[in-house]
Amino acid sequence: MRRWGWLATPGLAWLAAFFLVAFYAIVAVGFGNVTDVYEPVPHWNPLDWNVGYMLQALDDLLPGGRSWGVFLRTLLYVGLALALSLAIGYPVAYYVSRHARGRTKVVLLVLLVAPFWISYLMRMFAWTNLLDSQGYAAQALNALSIDSLFRAVGLLDGDDWLGGQPIAVILGLVYGYVPYLILPLYAALDRIDQRLIEAARDLGASPAGAFRRVVLPLSKAGTLGGIVLIALPMFGDYYTPDLMSGSPRTAMIGNTINNAVQGGPDKALGAALTLLLSLFLLVFMLYYLRVLRREEGT
Amino acid sequence: MNEPSGLSRRRLLAGAGALFAGAGLAGCENTTTPVRTAEGGGGDGIMGDPTAGGPVDAAGIPLARRDYPVTLPRIADPVKAGRPERGGELQIYNYADYLNPEVLKAFGEQEGVSVRVTTFNTLDEAYTKLSTGRFQFDVIFTAPDHLPRLVGRRLIQPLNFDLIPNLRTEVWPELHSPFYDVGPRYSVPYTLYTTGIGWRNDKLGDFDPGELGWEAFWRAGDYRGRVGVLDDSREGLGMALMRRGVTDLNTEDEAKLTQAADDLIELNEIARVKVAITGYETLPAGRMWLSQVWSGDMLNAVISYLPEGTSGDVLSYWYQRAGGPVFNDCICMGANAAKPVLAHRFMNYLLDPKVAYDNFVGYVGYQPPITAIDAEALFAEEILPENLRNCIVTPEDYANGNAYLALTADGRRAWDQAWARFRNG
Repeated sequence: MRRWGWLATPGLAWLAAFFLVAFYAIVAVGFGNVTDVYEPVPHWNPLDWNVGYMLQALDDLLPGGRSWGVFLRTLLYVGLALALSLAIGYPVAYYVSRHARGRTKVVLLVLLVAPFWISYLMRMFAWTNLLDSQGYAAQALNALSIDSLFRAVGLLDGDDWLGGQPIAVILGLVYGYVPYLILPLYAALDRIDQRLIEAARDLGASPAGAFRRVVLPLSKAGTLGGIVLIALPMFGDYYTPDLMSGSPRTAMIGNTINNAVQGGPDKALGAALTLLLSLFLLVFMLYYLRVLRREEGT
Repeated sequence: MNEPSGLSRRRLLAGAGALFAGAGLAGCENTTTPVRTAEGGGGDGIMGDPTAGGPVDAAGIPLARRDYPVTLPRIADPVKAGRPERGGELQIYNYADYLNPEVLKAFGEQEGVSVRVTTFNTLDEAYTKLSTGRFQFDVIFTAPDHLPRLVGRRLIQPLNFDLIPNLRTEVWPELHSPFYDVGPRYSVPYTLYTTGIGWRNDKLGDFDPGELGWEAFWRAGDYRGRVGVLDDSREGLGMALMRRGVTDLNTEDEAKLTQAADDLIELNEIARVKVAITGYETLPAGRMWLSQVWSGDMLNAVISYLPEGTSGDVLSYWYQRAGGPVFNDCICMGANAAKPVLAHRFMNYLLDPKVAYDNFVGYVGYQPPITAIDAEALFAEEILPENLRNCIVTPEDYANGNAYLALTADGRRAWDQAWARFRNG
């Protein structure tokens, strides 16, 4: 083990340079100050830390605070997007791993990887044209009366998919991140020993029972892993709401941070919000790690 | 409204220091070191400026107003006339798509240099990058309200106007010695613009903001989702202020700004506005039907962004003739310019009527304040569509208009926080 430890050096150096240092810079800005001309002044020494912005950010995020509404909206959008992603991703991953055979499986796997070839931003930009009133996607949706259906149940207001519709943002998030969920799910499902399912069936479990008692528990770590993998970037996402809507009505916490950091007067506040968001996400992460450890233990 | 964090920190320092004794709160911090001026540091500490007395910005420089012209302190001597530097690269710092590449190419060929443009997205971003001191630009494009802080941080240097004769001979007399840079000392004007309402007359029928003015936005519920507001705290809130009849677009009155933010939030409920600066593309594409836009963006829309099969006739523009926002951008020279003489020549070149015309009509869409360019003729010759005649800025507009100008540090924070409240939705 020790002999090969040096192999980790490049990775550790990379992490140190591009994660730890960068993250500490955000910490230093968040616990720093802002000059009268709105330049952030990082406080690198923890003894000099200024807690004013952190307290303000905390105050903003608590009920009744300036960013409380945005935070709730973000939770709602991400929650719905995760649920939809799972509803779409799990059956796909399940089919590819357990039922697709031979050539079909290879083709399907290639198709699952295909979205990674195009950058997230480009794929989102494509939608701004596709969902435009004259866009192919909008015309197809209208031809299938899906817009009327959505309008009837209150998911769409007016006829413009890109005109500040929450549903467009949520579907945009699903579209953007679902490939990142399917791949780890596929890997987890593919690893499940077929014989365990057969044993369950032999012992009298119905197909649904075998799925519920064997497949589902065994894919829990992979499912959670996939959820963590897409939930983290979703929480920080700001360009999906920007491109799919651009209206403050659908702003997410990432937009708030982006506005604070890009041109606003309180860059330190943006950094402090980032740190609080990270802290919040860390809780998710810890839960995932705990599940993972328990699974490894058994 | 919540107290700004920077202030709350000071309050913490004063009152509750003991609570955070362990955190070791540092002393008062202001990294903006006011510069000493060439004229000497007398007066009331406002950079030795004789116009001391009015409100000042964070660097201690007086805030210019139309009725309160400001001479910016001279932080160095202008470069001497000399032979223009040849070879290498002329470094320009500008917005994207704000210079005609053909014009740049011609200048490069004429002077034997290659011209390199580095772009920024916002003037704040530009200022932040410039103040790191790691960049060396010869020519810097900016807006007049940013001049004080560029001077305050010594990021630009005085110009030698003997090398820019076109300023006196070709530019509107109103801009020979503008109120924001009396002399002038640091800048030449680049292009003019007004902020107004752009709309699709084919979609909105007989819509006419002439009667309603800015109120038109608050009656745009029928087009919700297709209404745009500029992604700019000053312009966005300013529109709400003008709707209420406020004429001082540089007010720092918290009550007015709170009302403006409330109005924008209401507008968002009514019309689900998109907050963006892409009207030059979304209006001609038909994605937006009604949007707050800059006049130059409307002409730019016709010049560069009309989709196939769409005529420029579908676009209309309205501008509040009395007291609406009208201003100009300007050009400066970087403090550490490597080609100072060439930088002057470039500015002079851009103020040449033919070059300015090619830059304007051939690409940018923003009108230069050049006397020889007859805007009326552009419509008579159908170079620009008649329905966008309002996009042209006249000397009368410029004289009667309003402008978003530099604020005090507290004032700017008040604006930005009101804006952030709207942006949070």
